[in-house]
This record gives sequence, structure tokens and C-alpha cells, in this order.
Amino acid sequence: MPANAVETYELTRFFDSRPAVEDLTLNVPQGTVFGFLGPNGAGKTTTVRMLSALIDPTRGTARVAGYELGRENTQIRRHVGVLTEFPGLYVRLSGLENLLFFAGLYGVSRRQAVPLAEKYLRLMELWDRRTEPVSAYSKGMRQRLAICRALLHQPQVVFLDEPTSGLDPEAARIVRHAIKELRAEGRTVFLSTHNMPEAEILCDQVGIFSTRLLRVDTLTGLRGGRHGIGTIVRVRGDAVRWLDTVRALEFVRDVSAANHGANGAHPNPDIHTDTHMPTGDLAVRMDQPEEYTPLLVQTLAAAGAPILYVGPLVNTLESVYLELLGHNADTNEVLGITPNGRESIPASG
Amino acid sequence: MNQTAQIETHEPPVNKMALILRKEWMELRQERGLIIGTVLPPLFFTILPVLLAWAVAVIPHKAASALVQSPNLGPDVKIGGTGTAAPIVSAGGLQGLDTQAVEQAVIGSQFSILFMLMPIVVPAVIASYSIVGEKTGRTLEPVLATPIRVSELLVGKALAAFIPAVLITWIGASAFVGGMALVALSPRVVEHIVTLPWVLACLLCAPLMSLIAIGLTVAVSSRVRDPRTAQQIATVLIFPVMGVLLGQVTGFLVLSSAFVLAAAFVLALAASAVIWVAIRLFRREVILTKWS
Repeated sequence: MPANAVETYELTRFFDSRPAVEDLTLNVPQGTVFGFLGPNGAGKTTTVRMLSALIDPTRGTARVAGYELGRENTQIRRHVGVLTEFPGLYVRLSGLENLLFFAGLYGVSRRQAVPLAEKYLRLMELWDRRTEPVSAYSKGMRQRLAICRALLHQPQVVFLDEPTSGLDPEAARIVRHAIKELRAEGRTVFLSTHNMPEAEILCDQVGIFSTRLLRVDTLTGLRGGRHGIGTIVRVRGDAVRWLDTVRALEFVRDVSAANHGANGAHPNPDIHTDTHMPTGDLAVRMDQPEEYTPLLVQTLAAAGAPILYVGPLVNTLESVYLELLGHNADTNEVLGITPNGRESIPASG
Repeated sequence: MNQTAQIETHEPPVNKMALILRKEWMELRQERGLIIGTVLPPLFFTILPVLLAWAVAVIPHKAASALVQSPNLGPDVKIGGTGTAAPIVSAGGLQGLDTQAVEQAVIGSQFSILFMLMPIVVPAVIASYSIVGEKTGRTLEPVLATPIRVSELLVGKALAAFIPAVLITWIGASAFVGGMALVALSPRVVEHIVTLPWVLACLLCAPLMSLIAIGLTVAVSSRVRDPRTAQQIATVLIFPVMGVLLGQVTGFLVLSSAFVLAAAFVLALAASAVIWVAIRLFRREVILTKWS
């Protein structure tokens, strides 16, 4: 089995003279969940269609599941599973009949397909509805059934195009659980989405894409590395009173603090305050936080700040995404690592 | 344990054409309107001539003659006299039959050509729903994402329309012959209808015309969104058949075995050409990027 489940080199696709995907060079390691993030119309679906051998690239090369795109398309189709943009199910047939039909098209005999269908229908919590016609299924159920279909032939690589788009929270939870199960089984998941919180929960590696690949990195890398882009210091009481102390330090690039006051602003207009941050938090941006954080803490303690917690300040995926796409990211939207070690993920996205 | 391995199979390969065929019929089974629309015209073509022939036999002759106004009974058949049960003056193979029997023979032979319409109408309805239905249901992309070949997909779909069309035609023709035999005033009436050219046309031309209708429907369906448009365009094939019918009614055309065999040859060439074009037009790339 190849080290990389997906390898592309300058993969490009034009529709007439308009580029949909340009010079995509990418490696997705085997057994990982890769988040392919981009806005609507960025070329994500075109990329998935090329990599699943549905349409040809205009130029460039790719290997998927070890097979060369263009020369070994039938093998690629046999070894990948695809959740297409629309579920595309036969609504007059039952859920189980749909699965057994598609299993046959993948060359899986009925005898082998029945237990596999049961496994995935149970995973997607559809087993009790298996004999009902798909016309009676909700949107979320159809999406989950389409995911079952993509998995039934046990593919090495699974392409999921917006798998939780338009789903209710419960259905989205079931889908995310299934994606984690796939990773646990050693399968590679290529997750095309613009749902940032979901990508942060699920993905090992993320590519931010808008016709061209703008950046590809691990989540840690995107967030600013192991030590982040600065430090969060939580103090008892109002953090705003310590802003001047922190700002006076020469290694500090920027500092913001929670402000829940009447007018929501610090008297000094150069000092950032943020009504969204937890009360008592100081977000201090600096280069080399691993080197300067002890000095920051020493200075605050010497000034009498009642420090409760110190932790890394990291970028959110959303802020990196918006910045790369040329939008104004809210610089204060940060992902903090809370004292109990759990990530706090912004609800937006 | 590494669970990512593909399914290892020692079983015979799945016949994907048969799978498509079975799926199509499972879907058709649920589409009552389509089944009725498919079965009713052949039923009508089968029952109507038998009913007319029966009416000619049981209704007094003047009324029966009013039912069947046939200006020309073919090159070798003429009704002689105007009275009841007038004898035939000149009628190749029908000499000695009374007027009612001749009229039955005429009805039967003229309607028998309509069985050439069935293999056009029936698959046009099924095939257009089959292809355009995939388009409107957005089901074709997941199908094309599987390792199925386009030819397997198209042949499966074509068979799903071809088999019922040919079966309905043959069953209808058999029922027609049986019905005519029941109501015929003389066994020679049936002999006049069930000729070698007609049997050859049913066995050879009907399936070939069915293939052309399916190929045309698939080709047209690849370019339109509405099943009715595909059906309407495919049913232009009815016109040549109607031309043959008109030629026979007016006595301009005689359906001989040689004519039928020549027609079958031309139809076979046309069927090959239409199917080739249909497969050429039905490309993954075009379907996925243009169908939206």
C-alpha cells in the first residue's frame, strides 16, 4: 500500500477557458482525514470528480490509492468511495435495495454485501428503516445512506463532498462519528467542506483551496505551531487594567483583553478590547512565545496581577482560512486551550 | 488487524448488465402510470382488430360494411357484388369466401402492420424515463463513479426496454392471431393474415425497430431534461411504419418476404448506426459537466 493515498502534481482543470482547479499539488498520507476547505465555487467538487476518475484533468497527474489517474481509472473507481454533491439515490427502491444494487456495481456479490450493508446501516443508524423506500427518508437519512453506499465496497480512499451540509445536529454527529470510525479502520478520508469547526474536530491535515491550493498544513501548523502565536493569561477580575503593563513589554506585538464594560472600549484607542473573550483573559501575541512567556508571567506577577491560568494562544482555522482568502479575519477570534486541556471551538462557521 | 484491505472474492464476477436490468424493472414496477402507458397501446392494437372482425361476423352485413370502409383490399383482393354474402369474383387466395370473411381478412391484414408500431412505442416510453429519470434524480453520478463501463450501463438499460417491447409485441401478435382464429368465418382468413412476410417482419423487423427506437431515445435523452421530449423525438420512427401501412392500404406496396428481408437488412444497419451514436454521445464527462 502506498504511503500516500492521494498524490497530485499540478492537477488542473479548465471548463472552456475558465480554470476550475489550477496546479493542485498535494499529498494525502494513507490513513488520515484530509480536510479540503474552500468556499462555494472554489473547485472542490471538480477536484473530487477528477480524483475519483469521473472527469479528466486538463493537465497534471495524480495517483489515487496507488493507481495512476487517466491510465488506471477503472482501478481507481474500484478502490475509492465517493459521496457526491447530491445523494443521488433511487427513491422508489428501499435503502437496502439501493445499497445492494451499488454493491453489485462495485463487484461485491450479494452474499458479501448483505452483512456489509448491515454494518454500515447500523453505523449510520438506518438499520430499522432499511426496507422503507428512500422517498420516505428525510434529507439527513438520505445523506447517511449515500455515505453507506460510498463505504460498502470497503474502499481504501473515501471522498466525501460536504457530508454534513444541511444536516441537523444529530445527523451531523452520526456522520462525524462514522468518519472517525473510518480513520480508526485505517482508511483515508478526503473531506471536502467549508465547515471549519467540523474540519477542526475531524482532520489531521487541512488544505485551504480556492481554485489554487493556498496552504496545506496540519491543524497544529495552521494554528501557529506547538506554542501557538502567543499566550493567553487569565487573571481574576477585569483584564483590561493589565493591558498597559503588558503593552509596555518590547517583545509583545499585540495584546487584547476582554471588555464587558458599558461602552465596550478601552480609554486608549490603540489598545484592543474584545467583548467576545472570556472575562479576565489577556490575549498576548508575540514571536517565540516559548521564550518570552515566562518573562510575561513574571512581569504580570510583579505588578500584582492575580494570575489564574497561562496557556498558548492559537489561530482558529476560520481566521487562517479567511485571511488566506483575503477576507478580514477577526484577529481576536482565537482558539484557547482551556486549563482542563479541552479545546474550546468557536460556534461560528 | 489492517481492515483496509479490499473485499477478496472467489465468487463469479457480478453481471452488471443483469444488475442494471433488474434495478430498472424494480423501479418500473413501482411506476404504475408508466406500466399503464406501456401496456395500453399494445392492448388496444391487439383487441381492436379482433373486435372489428367479430363485429363484421355477427352484425348484419350492411352495418358491418359501414364499420369497415376499405377502398382497396390489396392487389389481389376485390369484393364482388353488393348483396349479402356476395361471392368473390377475383381474390388471390380468397376466392369463394363471402364478403364478411373477406372483410375480416382485410381488417386483419391491415391491422397486422400495427404490430410494427409496438416495438417503437413501448421502448420509447421505458427508455426515456430510464435515462432522463437518472438525470432528474441525479443518480447517474454515483453510478458512473463505480467501475461499471458505459457500454454495460447502456446495454443494461437498453435491455430493460428492449425485452418488454419485444415480448409485448410477440405476445400481442400471438393474441391477435389467436383472437382472429376464434372469430374468423373461415380458416383461410387467418391464412391470409398470418403470412410468411408478416411473421418475418414480427421476428426480424420488430426487434430491430425496437433497437433503433431505444438508441434514438438514449441519444436524445442525453441532450434533453424532459422524458416526454425524448419520447416524442423517438416516436418519429412511427412515420415510416405508417408509410408502409398506407402503401399497403392503397395497394401501392406489397409486403413480400423479399421486401421484409431487405427492410430488415436496412434496419439492422440503421440500428447499428444509432446505437453507435448513442454510445458516443453518452460520455461520463459530458453527462457530469453538462447535465445540471
